[in-house]
Amino acid sequence: MIYMNEVSKVYSNGSVALAEVTVDIHKGEFVFVVGTSGAGKSTFIKLLLREELPTRGRLVVNGRNVIEMLPKDVPYLRRSLGVVFQDYRLLPNKTVYDNVAFAMQVVEAPRREMQKRVHNVLDLVGLRHKVRTYPSELSGGEQQRVAIARAIVNNPVIVIADEPTGNLDPDTSWEIMKVFDTINKAGTTIIMATHDKTVVDAMRKRVIAIEKGRIVRDQVKGVYGYED
Amino acid sequence: MKIRTFEYFVREAVSSLRRNSLMGIASVSTVAVSLLILGMFLVMVLNLNHIASTLETQVQITVYMEDGLSDRDMREIGTRITKLPGVTEVMFIDKDEAMVKFKDRLGEQQGLLTALGDTNPLPNSFEVKVDKPEYVKPASQAIGQLKGVENAKYGQEVIEKLFALTKMIRIFGLILIVFLALAALFIISNTIRITVFARRREIGIMKYVGATDWFIRLPFMIEGMILGFSGALCAVLILSQTYSTLTEKVYESLAFLPLIPKSPFLTHISIVLLVVGTAIGALGSSISLKRFMKV
Repeated sequence: MIYMNEVSKVYSNGSVALAEVTVDIHKGEFVFVVGTSGAGKSTFIKLLLREELPTRGRLVVNGRNVIEMLPKDVPYLRRSLGVVFQDYRLLPNKTVYDNVAFAMQVVEAPRREMQKRVHNVLDLVGLRHKVRTYPSELSGGEQQRVAIARAIVNNPVIVIADEPTGNLDPDTSWEIMKVFDTINKAGTTIIMATHDKTVVDAMRKRVIAIEKGRIVRDQVKGVYGYED
Repeated sequence: MKIRTFEYFVREAVSSLRRNSLMGIASVSTVAVSLLILGMFLVMVLNLNHIASTLETQVQITVYMEDGLSDRDMREIGTRITKLPGVTEVMFIDKDEAMVKFKDRLGEQQGLLTALGDTNPLPNSFEVKVDKPEYVKPASQAIGQLKGVENAKYGQEVIEKLFALTKMIRIFGLILIVFLALAALFIISNTIRITVFARRREIGIMKYVGATDWFIRLPFMIEGMILGFSGALCAVLILSQTYSTLTEKVYESLAFLPLIPKSPFLTHISIVLLVVGTAIGALGSSISLKRFMKV
């Protein structure tokens, strides 16, 4: 599903964000990417989304060679990925329904399919009853659930989450993790960068630890491994 | 593209225009002023050209003959003139006929001529017509070189001055128009930049969920085109109204001045202005999209 071979990323100011990272992630895996701030987690995620290009190495995401990809093909890569951010990134002037439907609208999905699918994913995240609500009327946890619904509405094969519980209290974080777990059980690969020790230690999924741009640990059923 | 997608684009563009109505008004007014001036210059240049070429087609060459030529010599010259390229009509006017015409023109003042007594100082002449304006000059030069011809004249000075004037106005207008078009482009691209900035969150999300470039850009392009088109429409309305009034006034008081009739002239000018306005709008927004939106 994701294949990185000796991938390095050096920014134009000379700072090395990733150095010779080799990693293989299979379909249906749930992977935590952990590490201190500035370790290279964000760059790792940006490469997967092709927000940044590797300086060296080989990177294949969902069967597509990300490095040789033409700019016009990037949107089609992203359609196979769902993204969730720490700050939710919902559109404040759109309702819950419209926020989720927006993702289908931009890929020009048929209206009928859109209605059905939006309601389905809102069911899945437990927010069916809030379709007409605006983001400002929702709690942080609810907003993040809307963001998750938006990320999965186009049936991505991989969901990438960057600190999805970073702004949430432990109870709410746990609720959110349950949603991700459900999505993962349905077959979607999940890659999550996180600082949340409790969550990582409780879930016991694969853990990839990055330090100074290098993978220092790659454990099946791993733990967070850092002091908070 | 699906109709629903297009609806979405237009809706986005319109709602964004509503949000930035003040900048929108500024853009529309700038485009309107620029295109109004462009339109005025177009109308002026085209009309001056029209006047000049109308006068030119009406031009005839007057050929004055030397005194003391025999009838045969004059007939000979007449035949030669007829054979010149472009010449359609040659009319001989003998000196007596010329005198009668001259007296007619003087009207009440023909008493002045009594001082001449019986002598007639007017020469025999030909009036020569050609079928195309560009023949006037070569024909009159050729005629001037014929033996027995005193000289050949046409209204060249007036026409040449008119053409020179048109040329000057054209150059001056062109410079002005370029500056105004740049100003319009600048204002529109600024307006779009503000819109892009206001919607950067939305654009970011669109990128992440896999919207294509054109899907992201098109609403902004449409917005720019609406701004440009609206400005052009204002210019067209003002220009049409002004030109209609002007032509009416001219027909009333200066009927001999050959202005271009308003139909279909105004339609053509309007189409040009609307197309230019819309193009400025599209170009303005694409400049700003290129600079401020890395997709």
